[in-house]
Amino acid sequence: MYDFQSGGDFERDLNLDELLTGIDKSRLISALNVLLDTTVGVVDDTGASVIGDNSSKTVDRVPLHGELEPVGFLQTRTAVPSERLSAAADLMQLILRCNARYLLASDIHLQTQRDDFEELQRRNVALQASEARYKKLSESLEIRVKEQVKTIEKAHLKLYRNEKQASVGRLAAGVAHEINNPLGFIRSNVATAASYLESFYEFNALIDNGASSKDLRKVWEERELSLLLDDFKDLMKESLEGLDRIAKIVIALKGFSRIDQTETERADIDTIVRQICQVAESQWQQKAKLVLELSSENPIQCQSAQLGQVVYGLLGNAVDAIETNGIIRIRTAVRNGVVVLEVQDNGRGIPEAVLAHVFEPFFTTKEVGQGTGLGLTVCHDIVKEHGGTIEIVSQVSKGTRVTVNLPVQNAIQHSRES
Amino acid sequence: MAQYDESSQKLTIKLVYYGPALSGKTTNLMRLHDILTPDMKGELMIMETADDRTLFFDLLPLGFRAPSGLLIKFKVYTVPGQVIHDSTRKAVLSRADGVVFVADSQRTQSVNNGESFENLAANAARVGLDFQQLPLVVQFNKRDLPAILSEQEIMARWEKAPWPVLFSSALTGEGIIETFKALLAAVYRTCDRLYRLQSDHGLDCDSFIAQTLGGSLSSARG
Repeated sequence: MYDFQSGGDFERDLNLDELLTGIDKSRLISALNVLLDTTVGVVDDTGASVIGDNSSKTVDRVPLHGELEPVGFLQTRTAVPSERLSAAADLMQLILRCNARYLLASDIHLQTQRDDFEELQRRNVALQASEARYKKLSESLEIRVKEQVKTIEKAHLKLYRNEKQASVGRLAAGVAHEINNPLGFIRSNVATAASYLESFYEFNALIDNGASSKDLRKVWEERELSLLLDDFKDLMKESLEGLDRIAKIVIALKGFSRIDQTETERADIDTIVRQICQVAESQWQQKAKLVLELSSENPIQCQSAQLGQVVYGLLGNAVDAIETNGIIRIRTAVRNGVVVLEVQDNGRGIPEAVLAHVFEPFFTTKEVGQGTGLGLTVCHDIVKEHGGTIEIVSQVSKGTRVTVNLPVQNAIQHSRES
Repeated sequence: MAQYDESSQKLTIKLVYYGPALSGKTTNLMRLHDILTPDMKGELMIMETADDRTLFFDLLPLGFRAPSGLLIKFKVYTVPGQVIHDSTRKAVLSRADGVVFVADSQRTQSVNNGESFENLAANAARVGLDFQQLPLVVQFNKRDLPAILSEQEIMARWEKAPWPVLFSSALTGEGIIETFKALLAAVYRTCDRLYRLQSDHGLDCDSFIAQTLGGSLSSARG
């Protein structure tokens, strides 16, 4: 009997039993019995009885063909005219063929369905595997991204710290220049003063040798010793001023270079501005005039070295913005409990598109190697730590004004210190 | 691969007519059924839908006995050409011993021919047939229609291919037998190698073809 559950290979040769699947055998055999007017039986190609009565001896026999070969025989117990017998066989073959079509169709249907289902299952397994793979990948990706971000952040922090150090370095170069100037004229003054002493030693020798006061006066006047004495006084005064200047620069530098300071102190912005201007004078000397309008008066609790760096940075930007004959104004004032610091230049200004990005880390319009793109970022962060704000107003080819607002009463944040 | 049943002395060879929808695969089989006269010829089983499109496959059984008594049985199938019946195509192609690719000569059908041929190659790989070794004949059918590719154009495109290219008009029967003979010649080579048809069964290539076609036909058509 044909197994509809599992189906079979549609290519195999169906036997007679299978070909009769679903056909009412008793109706078929009784119809054949009536048509042939005898007792009819059907056996398969091995001689086994399939339908009807095949128990006793048969007289006539005719093959039933499957695809090509006989799958069985129709046999009768009494003689039947051959044309009637083959007509009956033909009728039965039509029924078998009809059934064969159905069985083949159902076989291939089942087979393709099973193949499709297996294929789907295979794909499902493959999909699940690839899903698991992607899930794993995405997990490790997240970790790798985090690691990468950490690395980048570390690198940024390093660059950020470097920027702070670098500004000190730039300042030191300027300071060397500032100190060299007074050193130069002090050396020259002292050398001149030393040469004056020779004249006075000679005059002293005349006194020791008992020269007359008349002769002494004559020599005093000939050698213009009064003038020398006055000049000597001037030389010493000038030299002392120069030394004072050097001392001031050194004090300013000492304060400014303490960029790692974490504790706050009371300091006033005006002093910070003056000190910075003092040590950085050589930067603008050639191309700009500096105007200071300082009236903040009250000291505030702050990290003065850090604020010095802000002033230094803003001043440097102003100088960079100027080609020649510029004016840089630095104003301080107290308004409504806020210390206001303004640095204004009449330089080239900042285009609107650029202005939106100036505080972003690593944003720079300078040539590669010329700027880190961290200068204003550092300024912004320092001001923020002091609870203040920083704003920039600029007009192209008219100039730029940077305004820093620092609250007088301020609990300084230590968020950046780590 | 052909099924060799030693106990019943039967070698069953599976041939498949493959190709795009409506290229004339079933018509090829109908003509073969009409024309061929081998010792054994079964009825043509056509499984089609109401609009004459092949649903599962068509099947033509043929057979003859070799001098050794071995029954050589052919099961000649067509596949359904419509794209959606790919699973059925794959099942029918499985274990094929030879394939006729029936292409449609009409200019408008070039893309369909190409896609179907690629599908044949892909399905052959899926069912584990070595496409390079598979006996294959390419038939450009519908030569009786207007707006067809010329033989020169077709040969120019296929000259580098290793398969015989034949031209036919299945409706009139032209080229049908030539195609079938070309396939039989290719199939004989592999079957002879595997089942020693010549040495063990006294069957050479010419009589293999002649007996499959049927005595009168082979002499009449050469």
